[in-house]
Amino acid sequence: MTRHHPDSLTLMEYSAGNLSEPHALCIRLHLDKCPHCRSRVDTLDSLGAVMMEEQPKVSVSESVFDNILACIDSEPAAETVRAAAPRISPLQKLLGEDLNELPWKRQLGDVSVLDISEKFPGQSEQVVLQKLVAGGKAPAHTHRGNETTIVLQGAFADQNGVFNQWDFVVLNEQDEHKPIAVGCEDCITLSVLSAPVKLTGKFTRLLNPFIR
Amino acid sequence: MTTLDPKPAKPEGRKDPWSQLLDKVGKYQDREAYHALFEHFGPQIKYYAMANGLASHAEELVQEVFVSIWRRSCLYDWRKAAASTWIFTIARNQRIDMLRKMQRSSAEMLVETEDLWQIPGDNEDEPVTSLHRLMSERRIRESLSHLPEEQITVIAKVYMENKSHQMVADELDIPLGTVKSRVRLALNKLKVILQDQNV
Repeated sequence: MTRHHPDSLTLMEYSAGNLSEPHALCIRLHLDKCPHCRSRVDTLDSLGAVMMEEQPKVSVSESVFDNILACIDSEPAAETVRAAAPRISPLQKLLGEDLNELPWKRQLGDVSVLDISEKFPGQSEQVVLQKLVAGGKAPAHTHRGNETTIVLQGAFADQNGVFNQWDFVVLNEQDEHKPIAVGCEDCITLSVLSAPVKLTGKFTRLLNPFIR
Repeated sequence: MTTLDPKPAKPEGRKDPWSQLLDKVGKYQDREAYHALFEHFGPQIKYYAMANGLASHAEELVQEVFVSIWRRSCLYDWRKAAASTWIFTIARNQRIDMLRKMQRSSAEMLVETEDLWQIPGDNEDEPVTSLHRLMSERRIRESLSHLPEEQITVIAKVYMENKSHQMVADELDIPLGTVKSRVRLALNKLKVILQDQNV
C-alpha cells in the first residue's frame, strides 16, 4: 500500500520511462502539483543521465549530423517556438474542461463510473474514473492486483486517512476499504486497474459484476 | 569559439561545460557548440537505443533526439537541470515516442509523450533549485563507484534496457523482492531518496 505520494521505486520506473501510459499519467498529474516528488524525480533523472554516461559509447557516423542539420534547416523558425507555447494540462486534453459534465454512468448508490480505457489504445490496463457524491459512501471492497489511484477533485476518507486532490494511492488485495467522500465537492478519482475490484459486503457481493 | 575539457568538471554551483554549450545553442543557435554536444552525447544515445532493442533504429533515434534538442534549446535553463540530465530525459521521451509511433497510428495518440513524461524545467512555475540539483548530481557520480556490482546491474537494466523490476527479476532469476531491496539499498546509498513518504 502506497499512500499520498508514489514510492521511490515507482518514481524510478517513471524516470526510466518504463511505466505504462496510464500509470505515467497518474504520476505526471501528481508531480505537477507536488514539488517534493518533482524534486525526487529530478534527482532520479540525474541518476539516469549518470547511468547513460557510464555505459559504453558507440560511434555515430558523421552523416547523421549532416542529416540533423538538413532537418533543422528545413524547418520554419516557428517550429522552434512551438515548444514554448502554453501547455494545456494532459487531463484537460484527455477529458475536457469540466469533469462533472462527463457522461457518468450511475452505479451502486452514490458511485458513478466512466471507463476511459479506450483513450489509451494498446495498453492492457483498465482506466476508470470514479465519482462519489459529496458525503456519499462507496460499498466496502478489496482490490485484485494493484490499483493505482489519483484524486482529481474533492477528497475521500477511509480508515487510513483523508486523501485530498492530487494525492496518490496504490491499493492491492490486502487493502479492504470503504471510502467516503468528504468536503462539499463530489470526489472524482482516476484509477488504473490491473484487475477488477472485488466487493466484500454480504449483499453487494451479488452486484459484483456491476462495479469495477 | 568553443573550448572543451575532455571530461566535464564537477559542477560546483556553476555551469558544467556541457551545460555551457547547451546554453549557447539555446541563446545563439551556436552550431559549433551543437556539434560538440553531438560528439559527446550522440554515442551515449546510440548505445541507449541499442541496449533497449532499437538497434536497427539507433541512429534514427540519435537524429530525433538532436533535432528535439535544437528545437527545445531555447527553453533550457541550466539552473533547473544539467545538460546531461536534460538530454537524458529527451532521449527517454524520444525512445518512448518512437515505440508509440511504431505501435499505432498518430491519430490514436490522444496524449502526447511529453504530457506523460516531463522534461525538467518545462514547468515555469518550478522554483530554481540549482544548488540542490548540482549537489545531487555530483553525489550520484561519486557514490556510484562505491556501490556493489549487483546493485549497479539492476539500476542499469532499469534505466538502460528499460526493464521493469519484474523483468529484471525474471532475467536474473531472483525474486522480485530481492530486486526491489537492491534498488532501495542503492537509492539510499546514493541519497537519491532521503525517505519514502509512505506512512
